[in-house]
Amino acid sequence: MNRLLKNIAVNLLLILLAFTVQTCVFPLFPFLSAYPNLLLILIFSFGFIRGSQAGMIYGLLAGLLMDLSSGGPMGFYTLFFIWMGYANGICTRYYYEDYITLPLTLSAVNELAYNLYIYLFSFLFRGRLHFIYYLVNIILPETVFTVVTTLLVYRLFLAISRRLVELQKRREKTIV
Amino acid sequence: MKNTKYFLFGLSALCICMIGLTTIDGSFLNPVRDAVGYVLVPIQKGVNAVGGALYNEVAEFGMLKEALADNERLKAQIDELVEENTRLRAETFELERLRELYELDKQYMQYNKIGARIIAKDTGNWFSVFRIDKGSDDGIKKDMNVIADGGLVGIVTDVGINYATVRSIIDDSSQVSAMAQQSGDTCMVLGDLKLFKEGRLALSYMEKDDDIKDGDMIVTSNISGKFLPGILIGYATEVAVDYEDNLTKTGYVIPAAQFDRLQEVLVITDLKDAGPELYE
Repeated sequence: MNRLLKNIAVNLLLILLAFTVQTCVFPLFPFLSAYPNLLLILIFSFGFIRGSQAGMIYGLLAGLLMDLSSGGPMGFYTLFFIWMGYANGICTRYYYEDYITLPLTLSAVNELAYNLYIYLFSFLFRGRLHFIYYLVNIILPETVFTVVTTLLVYRLFLAISRRLVELQKRREKTIV
Repeated sequence: MKNTKYFLFGLSALCICMIGLTTIDGSFLNPVRDAVGYVLVPIQKGVNAVGGALYNEVAEFGMLKEALADNERLKAQIDELVEENTRLRAETFELERLRELYELDKQYMQYNKIGARIIAKDTGNWFSVFRIDKGSDDGIKKDMNVIADGGLVGIVTDVGINYATVRSIIDDSSQVSAMAQQSGDTCMVLGDLKLFKEGRLALSYMEKDDDIKDGDMIVTSNISGKFLPGILIGYATEVAVDYEDNLTKTGYVIPAAQFDRLQEVLVITDLKDAGPELYE
């Protein structure tokens, strides 16, 4: 039980950390024209490494955090993130350890989908039609940053995830 | 595996319902938001303080060179300003006399303000929304105006116990009712993500004959429902008659506040009292 709690605590902490870095640390660098989306990387990597269920729960937690702190309509981000976690979990069958090309591709696809979702429901809805402009100036820079960041942090997440799985296995053994 | 699918659809349905509900009225969620604020705000404050200190340290070295050059330039400017000051002081006496005449002196720039620090920004690059470290406990209320550098920054859209969310006037969905200071002709200042990348806001809803020219000071208007009158927004530029209908004018506003390096802001604690709502 103790280990399970530890597992949950570590996961929650990771989400909080990613959120704080994204909202408090990145904006301190005025020369960054776009910020990488750490939460998104976190959700899709854990979905990809550990399957649909884990991805969905991760998406749920991160989405709730974003919704509750953004002041917008409740559930907007949650809705997208649970589907993203779930969808990336499906790809888990193609998962090999130390295989980086697929995570990078996933990162780009997720990022594009996420930004399209925001564009559709918060900008196109209000009649902002210059999609190409937003694509070039907002979506693509953020995607590039996110893919590069994925390259840097994916292995870290992988290591953390492995540690957590080990913890869980040890727990199962002790029960048996 | 099957359970996960049901779970997914159940959650999606729930989310969609919540989006619908909270778009109409989100206030029933305030206790939950406050609870999250209690956990999150101290962390954000801490990270912000540490990160800011580190960054400032690094930035200071870079700024030293700049400062030396600035020093030279500013010394020259002081001489100029001293001269100007003497002239203006003379004019101030005149102004005060005139103000007393018109009993206008209480109206402008006598608002009560409290300072607040920006502790977090929005997660992505789409919105210009930020969070400050003062909330309802410090007397912040929804719709209070936020200023910095002498110019309008935004409006409080959401208040928690220890934090408040501010939507800046550069946000894509921001609309401020404004007027040209010296002519009093009204217009609207609209935030636009596309324009802000160029450092500008859109200025529109002007009639062809309105007296608004390039370089005019654009301030918040008397008829705005939420913004207090007479707060500087910025300066008009490229005002031109629309050649499509030849009836209206549009232009741009260069904002007075420096949005890319905002750290502290002032919240005006006076609320615009637009009087009782009109019923037909």
